[in-house]
Amino acid sequence: MVRSLTDVVHRPPSPVVLEQVSKHYGSVKALDNVSLEVRPGEVLALLGPNGAGKSTAISLLAGLRKADSGKAWLFGLDPRDPKARVNLGVTPQETGLPNELRVEEVLDLVQAYYPDPMPREELLERFGLAGLERRQCGGLSGGQKRRLAVALAFAGNPRLVILDEPTTGLDVEARRSLWEGVKQYQAQGGTVLLTTHYLEEAEALASRIAVIDHGRIIAEGTVAQIKARVGLRQVRFRAAEVPPLEGVSKLEHRGGSFVLYTPDSDAVVRQLVGQATFSDLEVQPVSLEEAFIVLTGDSRREAKGER
Amino acid sequence: MKLVLAQYKASVLSLARNPGYFIGSIVFPALFFLFFAPSGVRNSAEANFVMGSFMIFAAMGALFFGFAVGIAQDRASAWAAYERTLPGSPLSRLVSRVMNGFTFAACAVAVMALVAHLTTPAHLSPPAWGRLALALVAGAIPISLLGFAIGYFASPRGAGTLAQLLYLPMSFVGGLWVPPQHLPEVVRQLSQFTPTRHWGEVVWPAVTDQPWQAQDFLWLGAFTLVFGFLALWGYRRDQGQRFS
Repeated sequence: MVRSLTDVVHRPPSPVVLEQVSKHYGSVKALDNVSLEVRPGEVLALLGPNGAGKSTAISLLAGLRKADSGKAWLFGLDPRDPKARVNLGVTPQETGLPNELRVEEVLDLVQAYYPDPMPREELLERFGLAGLERRQCGGLSGGQKRRLAVALAFAGNPRLVILDEPTTGLDVEARRSLWEGVKQYQAQGGTVLLTTHYLEEAEALASRIAVIDHGRIIAEGTVAQIKARVGLRQVRFRAAEVPPLEGVSKLEHRGGSFVLYTPDSDAVVRQLVGQATFSDLEVQPVSLEEAFIVLTGDSRREAKGER
Repeated sequence: MKLVLAQYKASVLSLARNPGYFIGSIVFPALFFLFFAPSGVRNSAEANFVMGSFMIFAAMGALFFGFAVGIAQDRASAWAAYERTLPGSPLSRLVSRVMNGFTFAACAVAVMALVAHLTTPAHLSPPAWGRLALALVAGAIPISLLGFAIGYFASPRGAGTLAQLLYLPMSFVGGLWVPPQHLPEVVRQLSQFTPTRHWGEVVWPAVTDQPWQAQDFLWLGAFTLVFGFLALWGYRRDQGQRFS
């Protein structure tokens, strides 16, 4: 990401820039020459299976870790400088909330770090925490803790929010209301960097998606572009033989069944109906993990049992 | 400053709602005092001496466990890592932690003073109170740094155990339960090399109206340097492991 002098002078610095960043933990390469930019007002989803390097990228941007080579920038400043993080909100792990403190006390503490925090009522209202102010964190339900954790990212009224797997473990309703909150924030000019391993979540929120795997950005583009590449469905049926089909990423023959993977199952099924005799047709969504195995032919992933 | 106060308030509230710490550092030393002192002291001077010893015992418990266990837990805590992402310097966290530790130590000392006055003929003049406060702070500094060092090197569970393993023997060997002259010979020899003994040697003159000996402050200064070095080493090592 080469930046000319005129860029620097005339354009405000982007909320997030990773510039050829590499990071190792011992012999494990967590990030390998990653470059990424999140522009003002956009929601970028960093999509990847577990262990792909998403959390490492976030710990660099939150100032927790330092790159081995390359640079991370927040609004043109080093994330390790507290001044850079005045504009940043991140979520804590909800399991790490201080159990003995009440919700309002946690908000008092976090908001004390920021010069211009979000008004308390608005924050409680927006994240469904109204009425829980005096409850101790240890006594909150899992969903309530999650909402509080997400609310904390917005508590300081930051210009950039980084959400790490924000809806993992939430039920459908809670997930939708959280998505609403993020959309509202973006509508008011906020910038969001979101990590997720649900394509559905990236689809619901993001204006752009970057796909990360084994510490590398392997694809970057609009939601439609990325969905066409990694949003696979599995089509399974019994047949004696299969005609040549368009739009199939991978075809396997297992016993008397065929299993194929495709980004557009409707088109594949239409072709099948027109050209083949088959029975027991099943169409299933494919998790991102499985999609990566199909696309990269990487069977080690399963064997290694990455978390 | 606003931030330090917010952190201070949050950490005091957390600890005050943690019955283990509260009972261990404030209630337990007072009970221990009641068990030993009221039946054993015959006059005001003896009562003052025992009160001074147990104030050390109480302050040390609060500081030692507060810092050792608190720091070790924070090093493993997701919340403390989250706080590092907030726009504040780690220094304010350190300042609020020290204020927090000394608040609980002061409470433990105040409770001890109250219990001693209610159950024994302990009595101090206002200048003696001043000297006692100074003496308590002088010894609190190296002990706090030892707590920091343990917190930075030990695991959360290990820190509690290690602090426990040092706390009671150091109190006994340092002459806080039995005055040094009544300790067995071997223990008395060993006693010279404990920070608790020299802490006692600056507190006892304050409560018995005797002059201070410079050498005891020098000893405490030496312990401050050694434990301060350990704490700094542990801090650097920890920062390197977690935040690089």
